[in-house]
Amino acid sequence: MPATPNSIKLIGGNSHPELCEKVSKKLGLSLAKVGAFQYTNKETAVAVGESVRDEDVYIIQTGCGEQDINDFVMELLIIINACKIASARRITAVVPNFPYARQDKKDKSRAPITAKLMANLLQTAGCNHVITMDLHASQIQGFFRVPVDNLYAEPSVLRYITNNFDKKDLIIVSPDAGGAKRVASIADKLDVQFALIHKERQKANEVSRMVLVGDVSDKVCILIDDMADTCGTLCKAADILLDNGAQKVVAMVTHGIMSSNATEKLNNSKLDRIVCTNSLPLNDKLAQCPKLEVIDIAPTLAEAIRRLHNGESVSYLFNNIPE
Amino acid sequence: MRDLVVLGGSSHPSLTRTICRNLTIEQGEVSSRKFSNGETSLEIQDSVREKDVFIVQSGCGDVNDNFIELLIMIAACKTASAKRVTAVLPLFPYSRQPDSPHAAGLTGAPSISTKKEQYTYESVPGTPGPFVSKNSDTFTSDSDSHTPPPTLNLGGKSVFSGLKPQVERTQSYSSKFFTPKSIVTNSASTNLPPVDAYGKTESGYKQWIAQNGTLIANLLVTAGADRLITMDLHDPQFQGFFNIPVDNLYSRPLLKHYILDYIPNYQECVIVSPDSGGAKRATAVADAIGCSFALIHKERRAKVAKNPPSTAASSSSVPMSASNTILSSSNTMVATTMLVGDVRDKVCVLIDDLVDTSYTITRAAKLLKDQGAKYVYALVTHGVFSGDAINRVNKSAIDKVITTNSVPQSERMKVLGSDKFEVLDVSRILAESIRRIHNGESVSMLFDHGW
Repeated sequence: MPATPNSIKLIGGNSHPELCEKVSKKLGLSLAKVGAFQYTNKETAVAVGESVRDEDVYIIQTGCGEQDINDFVMELLIIINACKIASARRITAVVPNFPYARQDKKDKSRAPITAKLMANLLQTAGCNHVITMDLHASQIQGFFRVPVDNLYAEPSVLRYITNNFDKKDLIIVSPDAGGAKRVASIADKLDVQFALIHKERQKANEVSRMVLVGDVSDKVCILIDDMADTCGTLCKAADILLDNGAQKVVAMVTHGIMSSNATEKLNNSKLDRIVCTNSLPLNDKLAQCPKLEVIDIAPTLAEAIRRLHNGESVSYLFNNIPE
Repeated sequence: MRDLVVLGGSSHPSLTRTICRNLTIEQGEVSSRKFSNGETSLEIQDSVREKDVFIVQSGCGDVNDNFIELLIMIAACKTASAKRVTAVLPLFPYSRQPDSPHAAGLTGAPSISTKKEQYTYESVPGTPGPFVSKNSDTFTSDSDSHTPPPTLNLGGKSVFSGLKPQVERTQSYSSKFFTPKSIVTNSASTNLPPVDAYGKTESGYKQWIAQNGTLIANLLVTAGADRLITMDLHDPQFQGFFNIPVDNLYSRPLLKHYILDYIPNYQECVIVSPDSGGAKRATAVADAIGCSFALIHKERRAKVAKNPPSTAASSSSVPMSASNTILSSSNTMVATTMLVGDVRDKVCVLIDDLVDTSYTITRAAKLLKDQGAKYVYALVTHGVFSGDAINRVNKSAIDKVITTNSVPQSERMKVLGSDKFEVLDVSRILAESIRRIHNGESVSMLFDHGW
């Protein structure tokens, strides 16, 4: 017997209300009346003001906030659990920027693999599906026992490049060896050269020595990375590229975390501009940093939600941007 | 003790230190930091391979930060091949949450913050005052309001309590959505419909608040906890949410010893429970000491009234000593507080497991003083004192507060001073339970005798 038709319920967490709004508008739905708040003792609670019984629930919550990231994680877990208690048919967590994605391996003795822990926590809370974007390591998908759709910002990035730059003097640069694959793929699709900067890292968030591999003289360099946190890497990479004769340097990153004094660093850096997606809220950063530009990924997320709900293939989105 | 490792989270380092001192072992070294993007980063310095690990973390301060830190720590120990990981949570996070928006209105914090000097002996939650224009759609609050009201808008109107029964005050602002996140961020996205006095929305769906108990239990087990030690759980049923052993310790022996040792003429005093839910806890203490017992009962009824009722009339009957009225256009919630038992010229000892916003306990103290109590002690296991609670307690009718160091209390001590505030030490009882669990001895002896 075919399952009775159900509908999409879109729930927004408190981490990125603007993105929730955009996705809901794109889908032509209003956000469900489910909201999280915090008591004075700083415990999070979720009030459910609308039935989600037997519905297809999508919860949008991104990992962001220097002060609140753990609050948002708990909020997401509690909303998922609330929907589970409320008998939702399927619960999908839409997490554009997966929290703790960089702690994905036991790189030292007794280091926690927090990304794995997050995966377990989400599943324990009752998550049946995860939509995320540009995971720091795509192996994180393997931490889950539920399906994970790892979307790519690449189509949006490609479109931005083709619309804004002349291919003739373009070169794509990866600021670290880990991103080489991502960069090679983009360079292939644009049919341009690519270069690589190798860095030796001693401590997390601190960059020591960098070496450029490839010729960038008189080229417009596009630095591509999955996230920009303190932006130290990007700024140093820009210096090296310009020292090696680059014409100008533009950075394009999926997740603009921009913690601590990143905007200040960017303002003082030699980067021409930095382009991020709105996987994280960037409004206050936009005001601080005139070099910052934002690509909207809400259409991709909305289309992924629509396709998932209707049981259509999501892989179309890996290479195309929905209109 | 061989193979015993005690690690401490960042919520309550001094408790971890004293526990280790009691166990005469070195505390395991953990460096807990935040990455620049706010993510918690942990490093356990010493080997825990095949060790029996205890992690002390209280559910206080930034609860979510501390809870996630605990989960990461448990997971880190597990991946580092610890033999057994026991989480020691003196105050269990999320153990008490109002189960309905109604309850949230009264026991949760209706805390529109007032200016510091406005805390009153009567301990009335601050109200925006009678001067705000009626039916305004926007929420107005006074200048230093860092805590908008998490009163889950009962009929679009907020909860307030009458200062005196005779005084009628109409709450006259309304907010379309209740204001969430009373502390941290961002109320804009919360998307909740207005509800009436029965918690129903226009569509007839009754708004509810998710209970997080099972989730928290499951998260701890998922992270890899093999065992749990906690203290004075608000709901004893909480133990049943776990599939792992939970040792729920009691602070009752500590409280009892305090009464016996420090309250003059303790045989004459009256043990009072500030709400009916805590009656069992309070009677247990009263029985153990052999003194009399009284109970404060709160009742909330919704009734439909054409006109706002005269509060003076409804509160003129004898047992009603305070009444809280919530008015909305069509429905009226009447909350009455009554005292069962005689406290005239007696020394009263209020006993509760947890004081959070302190509204319940300060109102109870006020009621007791109104009924002629001579002196009011408040004995609480977990003194959370969130928001402005401590200032409210300071200005309240409570003469002395006794609590335990299950959460850090040194800041509170500075506000209240040692004349009004006393902290009992729970580290010995926790240390002893750790020792006994490590050695595989019985813990039940601690329930009755303390340590």
